[in-house]
Amino acid sequence: MTTTLVIDTSTSRTTVGIVVDGKLEFVAQQDDPLAHAEVLPKFASQALEKFPVIDLVAVGMGPGPFTGLRAGISFAQSFALARNIKWRGICSLDAIAAVIQDSNFIVEVDARRKERFFARYENGKRMGEPDVAQLVELKALDLPIYGEDSSQYPDPLAIANLAQSGEIFQSPIYVRRPDAYPAPVGVKFRPMTQLDLVPIFAIEKASYGVEAWSMAQLKEESAGKDRWYVVAERDGAVIGYAGVLNLAGVADVLTVTVDEANRRKGIARELLRRVIDWTRTQKCEAIMLEVKVGNEQAMPLYKSFGFIEISRRKDYYGPGKSAIVMRKEL
Amino acid sequence: MSSEPLILGIETSCDETAVGIVRGRKLLANVISSSVEEHARFGGVVPEIASRAHLEAMPSVIATALSEAKIKLNDLDAITVTAGPGLIGALVVGTSSAAGLALGLNKPLYGVNHLSAHIAVDALDSDHPLDPAIALLVSGGHSSILQVNNLTSDVKTLGSTIDDAAGEAFDKVARLLELPFPGGPSIDHDALSGNPIAIEFPRGLTLAKDLADHKYDFSFSGLKTAVARYLQQIPNYQRADVSASFQEAVVDVLLIKTIAAAKASGIETIIIAGGVAANSRLRELAQDRTESAGLLLRIPPRKLCTDNGAMVAALGSLAVTQGIAPSTLGFGPDSSSGIARPIF
Ligand SMILES: [Zn+2]
Repeated sequence: MTTTLVIDTSTSRTTVGIVVDGKLEFVAQQDDPLAHAEVLPKFASQALEKFPVIDLVAVGMGPGPFTGLRAGISFAQSFALARNIKWRGICSLDAIAAVIQDSNFIVEVDARRKERFFARYENGKRMGEPDVAQLVELKALDLPIYGEDSSQYPDPLAIANLAQSGEIFQSPIYVRRPDAYPAPVGVKFRPMTQLDLVPIFAIEKASYGVEAWSMAQLKEESAGKDRWYVVAERDGAVIGYAGVLNLAGVADVLTVTVDEANRRKGIARELLRRVIDWTRTQKCEAIMLEVKVGNEQAMPLYKSFGFIEISRRKDYYGPGKSAIVMRKEL
Repeated sequence: MSSEPLILGIETSCDETAVGIVRGRKLLANVISSSVEEHARFGGVVPEIASRAHLEAMPSVIATALSEAKIKLNDLDAITVTAGPGLIGALVVGTSSAAGLALGLNKPLYGVNHLSAHIAVDALDSDHPLDPAIALLVSGGHSSILQVNNLTSDVKTLGSTIDDAAGEAFDKVARLLELPFPGGPSIDHDALSGNPIAIEFPRGLTLAKDLADHKYDFSFSGLKTAVARYLQQIPNYQRADVSASFQEAVVDVLLIKTIAAAKASGIETIIIAGGVAANSRLRELAQDRTESAGLLLRIPPRKLCTDNGAMVAALGSLAVTQGIAPSTLGFGPDSSSGIARPIF
């Protein structure tokens, strides 16, 4: 006989259950995205009153919002240590998918910041690693969607079953990188001044050739109303710049450019982050940008910030040079 | 339960994953795993990185503490954990771990206040009574003068910072001086070769007009601005002199006010606690000044000043010894909890 203590805190619901030999004998659940740490010990203590002897702890490892997720995992880890028993982590999305009858579908949970953690399932199997996207992107895939948006949560019995025979995870399934990134070493960021125009023009010309803005355009552009420019410098030399325009509450990224020798060092990411932060201070509702079709190397960067493609503009950069328009809600 | 309870304390309020074990007032183990190096790249503690590191480090920190103390989990009389104040995502890992241990072992659980614990650590390996005392609590997040009538039930805040905490001022000035994070130890070290009276930096809230409303309060943001202005005006400044003079200004004002509070209250013991209490100039000058004022100075060993698990266990041990009831299981971490709530 195996008695399993089941815990999941990967969604807004805290779930504690007891499964004895494949049968759910106890369950306590509460929906509150901010109370996992308070609710979990109370429920666990109720479960232990009825079932004092536990053989195994099964815990949902996410993906899910980090703070709540870690409440469940740290509890499970320490409880197992105290009892000298094993704990097993499972993918919480799998525990939602396990009770779905469809053969081809998506499971999602709230990832906060208007995004969802999700995975696709085919014939009872998860296809690849969990990922993060906006709900509109998932809907565009045209598959049935199950999960938190339709009040479906990890199933306690499924968690216990997966701990016996499913894929086991040793650490939390984070998917999204932590909010903080190491700043590129030795690089400083500051608002642009007129003195920066000369080095900026040099980088602009080297980067865009005939399509580069002229000095006069740069001057006029950077001095314009509702615009903000930021530069990156190393050892006193400008090595990159970015600009943004606030057009009545919707921001437009004008440029993000890094000097050839300093690319692929995370500088564009830092510039873009500062641009987004500025638009937030301006209370913009969304931020948009255009990227040239074919400039695939910039796409992962924009996507990682939550920009999604909303349309294409034919011949935007001249004949045969179309643009992808991307937008991020703020 | 014996009069010498065996207590395990967990601390995760900031960037240290720490577990301490005490028996009564005796320190048995103090294990700390820090993520400070990861934060150094950012020049400050990044909450998400800290929380992630706590979860990863916790099992091995607990195991190391147990073997250092030469005890088994089942020997423990209670589990104690920092419930606040601190970073919420970091606190959650500690309180949830502690709850898992307590329920797993069927032992009482105490959620305690981090600030009270900084003071309680003074009880370890000593038989001096903890209270009454005037406590100067100085760290990266807090700077206050407290009247500790009874650490577990009656602590009055006499004054606190109206802007930056002392430790925060150290971090910010270290950044201005391009000294590495964390700023406290960096400036402490740099100041060793500097002249503390080379530059006359302001002592916040010490003028007669400020004293009326802010007798025991601190302000360090003006000092930080004064340092920044000095660096602009004197581009080829002597960094060690700036460090030493800045440190002197902080330490001077901390001690002036603490000693004044002790004299006004008639309480003869001063406890200095918190991360900044590890500062060598503060320790040295506090010794001199309390001596000439006829006061008794208590200041924990350096390694017990910065965040650690032993201080949490020390406060738990005090609570158990005094027969205080354990916390109810539904207590959650409270990121802004004040010293008025020593035991949850
Ligand atoms: Zn502290």
